[in-house]
Amino acid sequence: MQWIKKDMELYVGSKEYIDTAIIPILPFQMSQEGNLSKSTSKREILSIFATEIENELSGRLLLIPNYYYLEYGDKVEEMERLNKWTKEIQAQPFKHVFVLTFDSGWKRYEKDMSANLLWLPGFQAENPNSDELRQMIRGQVSDVVELIRSYW
Amino acid sequence: MSEDKQQVSRRQFLNYTLTGVGGFMAAGMLAPMLRMAIDPVLQSTSSEGEFVNVGLAVEDITTTPQRVDWQIEQVDGWYQSKPGRSAWVYKDDNGNIIALSPVCTHLGCVVSWEGNDSHPNEFFCPCHDGRYTKDGVNIPGTPPLAPLATYEQKVENGILYLGKAISRKGA
Ligand code: FES
Repeated sequence: MQWIKKDMELYVGSKEYIDTAIIPILPFQMSQEGNLSKSTSKREILSIFATEIENELSGRLLLIPNYYYLEYGDKVEEMERLNKWTKEIQAQPFKHVFVLTFDSGWKRYEKDMSANLLWLPGFQAENPNSDELRQMIRGQVSDVVELIRSYW
Repeated sequence: MSEDKQQVSRRQFLNYTLTGVGGFMAAGMLAPMLRMAIDPVLQSTSSEGEFVNVGLAVEDITTTPQRVDWQIEQVDGWYQSKPGRSAWVYKDDNGNIIALSPVCTHLGCVVSWEGNDSHPNEFFCPCHDGRYTKDGVNIPGTPPLAPLATYEQKVENGILYLGKAISRKGA
């Protein structure tokens, strides 16, 4: 399910079936022009990723709206905020909360994170809509889906 | 002082203008809604209903369901997206092609063929253990209350085309 009116109406009526949430976290920066295309393509691909995962498991999983943080900012500060999001979600209740990212920088903070960190090695792509990329994403998505299912 | 005065009137002017723009936008939103209400014929048919080549040759279809994925071009207002579609395709015992929507009729997860080792020869939904027989009919006692939808289909030059997914009544 997604954070949209139609899905949330369904959610409210079937809360007992939906116990898993995913927060895609995305870096934002504009100061390093040379890295702009990398940052933006990461964002696009992670969004496709998140939507595909949601699509496979939409009856049990809620896709939380994207969380943005400053790419070169203070991760400790961000993590505290992120933990507040997690707390808010867990209270509904959600049994499993995942944070989805391509940024390996979060690995260091994993132990202080209240959510489960789902770190995926990012990949570069010229065109996020190409068939080739879709294929690649699909392959990885099914791995991630397996991983999430192992928590159930 | 005089500059001050000018500032205020400028601000007021901008405020008026914005109110005007807001009104204009409201009118802009109402107009299409009215049009849709008045004239259903004007409703555009989305490309969702069209037949799409899903990249599968009829001769490659076996009696074991296989998953095909494709994209449709969807324009929803000004927002253009490429949502994915999938189907489970196989030939039944009479050689008829069956294309089932993989969307679980319970809450919408994607089911898979023989997705659970303890339930062979069935479609399985990983979310709440929903189950369906091979023809897509839900198995009573599991959460789904209706069979999987079937796709409209046609074959041209030995290639499978799929159209709209048609839902079926509960078993
Ligand atoms: S969504 Fe398939 S069993 Fe609940």
